[in-house]
Amino acid sequence: MVKMFKYALDLILRRKLRTFLTSLGIMIAVMLMTFILFGMTDLQSAILTQFSSVFKPTDLYVSSQDMMGLSSMMSAPSKEAEKKEQVIVNEEIKEKIEEVEGVEDVYPMFILSGFDVYLEGDEIPYPRSFVQCVNLPGNHSMYTSFKGENPILKEDGIFVSDYVLSFFEISSEDILGKKIYVRSTTSRLLVPTTNKNMISREYVFTVQGVVETSNNAFWITADKGLDILVDIGRFTNRQEYIEKVGYSQILVSTAEGETLEVERYLTEELGLNVISTKTIVDFISTLTSGLAIALVVFGLISALVASIGIINTMVMSIYEQTREIGIVKAIGASNTQVLVIFLIQSGLIGLIGGVLGLTITYLLMKVSDPFLVEILKEQGFGSITQFFHFQPLNAIYITLGSILIGVLAGIYPAMKAAKLDPVKALRYE
Amino acid sequence: MSYIEIKDLKRKYVMSKEVSVEALGGVSFNIEKGEFLSVVGSSGSGKSTLLNILGGLDWEYKGKICIDGKDIKEYEPNFYRRHIVGTIFQQFYLIPSLSVEENILLPMKFVGTKVVDVKQRLEYLLDTVGLKSRREHLPKELSGGEAQRVAIARALIDCPKIVLADEPTGNLDSKTGESILNLLKELNKTEEVTIVLVTHDRETSKKTDRVITLVDGKNV
Ligand SMILES: Nc1ncnc2c1ncn2[C@@H]1O[C@H](COP(=O)(O)OP(=O)(O)O)[C@@H](O)[C@H]1O
Ligand SMILES: [Mg+2]
Repeated sequence: MVKMFKYALDLILRRKLRTFLTSLGIMIAVMLMTFILFGMTDLQSAILTQFSSVFKPTDLYVSSQDMMGLSSMMSAPSKEAEKKEQVIVNEEIKEKIEEVEGVEDVYPMFILSGFDVYLEGDEIPYPRSFVQCVNLPGNHSMYTSFKGENPILKEDGIFVSDYVLSFFEISSEDILGKKIYVRSTTSRLLVPTTNKNMISREYVFTVQGVVETSNNAFWITADKGLDILVDIGRFTNRQEYIEKVGYSQILVSTAEGETLEVERYLTEELGLNVISTKTIVDFISTLTSGLAIALVVFGLISALVASIGIINTMVMSIYEQTREIGIVKAIGASNTQVLVIFLIQSGLIGLIGGVLGLTITYLLMKVSDPFLVEILKEQGFGSITQFFHFQPLNAIYITLGSILIGVLAGIYPAMKAAKLDPVKALRYE
Repeated sequence: MSYIEIKDLKRKYVMSKEVSVEALGGVSFNIEKGEFLSVVGSSGSGKSTLLNILGGLDWEYKGKICIDGKDIKEYEPNFYRRHIVGTIFQQFYLIPSLSVEENILLPMKFVGTKVVDVKQRLEYLLDTVGLKSRREHLPKELSGGEAQRVAIARALIDCPKIVLADEPTGNLDSKTGESILNLLKELNKTEEVTIVLVTHDRETSKKTDRVITLVDGKNV
């Protein structure tokens, strides 16, 4: 058996280029499969871990609109759904929510977007400036950590995130007590108004704390945020804004075990849009498993194409090796032995493809991993240290799988070779 | 009872319903143990057909062949080709990518249990055929006579009882051919192996112990 193995190896090494080209097919299939196994599973869990670190499973984010467009991505748009978006999250709704059983806390939120945010003594505004307005203490679970004296925001206080520190190149000790200017620039503002001619305004805050999170960059109190929105949009008072526009979002903390029921009530009875850990997790799973399925399908297709390649190569080599098959049969090789020699050959092609594919993906992973981690960190996945995880056991399965594909593809040519009549094979030119 | 008994051997090649060739039309003769026999006949007289049947490559014959009283059909074909007979061809049939040594050892790759000490046997055969210094060479680096010597060594590696040679000198000049014949003669004595040599050349056949003449698929 070992000798036959060596002989088969010798046969395929005689045609190095062709063996290599044939194994490329298997290689590509293997690369796709390894990517799924080593990348996708971890991508999903990384997103989920990251997500749950800032998103408590008992928290619900309620808004009038489908903020992330999640539900519309998962279902076709309908008039029914459009009607739902007309709901304004006003005081009445807020009170209703407060009365729902299982609701523990209700934090109304506003979002200021499109403002230019400057740090005292710096000319360049912070990009992507969303200012979140919510009365959450700095030690609330939404923030991973808090640095500062007073965790309760004052009227003109502002929390900044660690990203703000790195952008302005300043330490957390130095930024505390500094001024932050939030300026409205008419051209870029994205806030609701009653009047087209908006005024440019500047609001001054004092940095009261540094928080670590992957959400936003700036936080002020809900009341201050509302005042700014009223001011900028030229509403008469807070009440008018709430009645006409409503809260941007309401963070609803629920008692453990009641979350699902509360979510159901808010969506179905009050017609609100609710984002919960569950919706996000479902959405992420749908996305990643969809991606994984697509990759598996591509992997299977390329495995199929690869096996056709192997069949073709092996049939070709029967014609080239006809004489040699005749010779080995004449000197005593049995049909079964010829069969086995051919199966070993095709299995070896599979093995070569598998090992090549694994090696290349392994190297690609090693090279690209730091970059991917960097990108993901920029996107807010701070806790990630490694994107790809090489799993030796799966590598072994993949190798065995590619050998199997090779052997399966080799069955037909091997049977053909085994059945060759030695007398005719010897006469073959 | 003779060592090999061939009785009324017939072989018909059927190409289609209308076209068929009767290559052997009832061949009968006996071969004694240790004999160096030649079968002579003109081209197309059925010599190769006869040798393919004797060599266990072709089993679609009518008639009966017994070796040591045992019908060869009772053997496993591969076992028969491996241990009972060794065949040499006019075209040598060496494997181009394998060295002299590897070509000689090739049959042993398909053998389960070995009855001989392969290494010792290889050295002995390389010495006997005079190719000790060429063992690493590839077939294309050999002359015709040398290539045929490799084929002879390969046929003998697993100590067969019978050596079949189909026109072994057909591709060689007369001087080289003669040296091959002398080698076969020598092996016939030292290895105590029965040799059946097929040739169209009467001169060649004269060097053997006994001559059987084949005319149109029949021995006369
Ligand atoms: N595989 C075959 N198919 C059809 N006819 C064959 C085949 N082999 C040999 N023959 C025919 O059988 C006859 C004997 O051939 P062969 O045994 O090769 O003769 P020799 O070796 O004496 O020259 C010839 O007429 C040849 O054409
Ligand atoms: Mg012939």
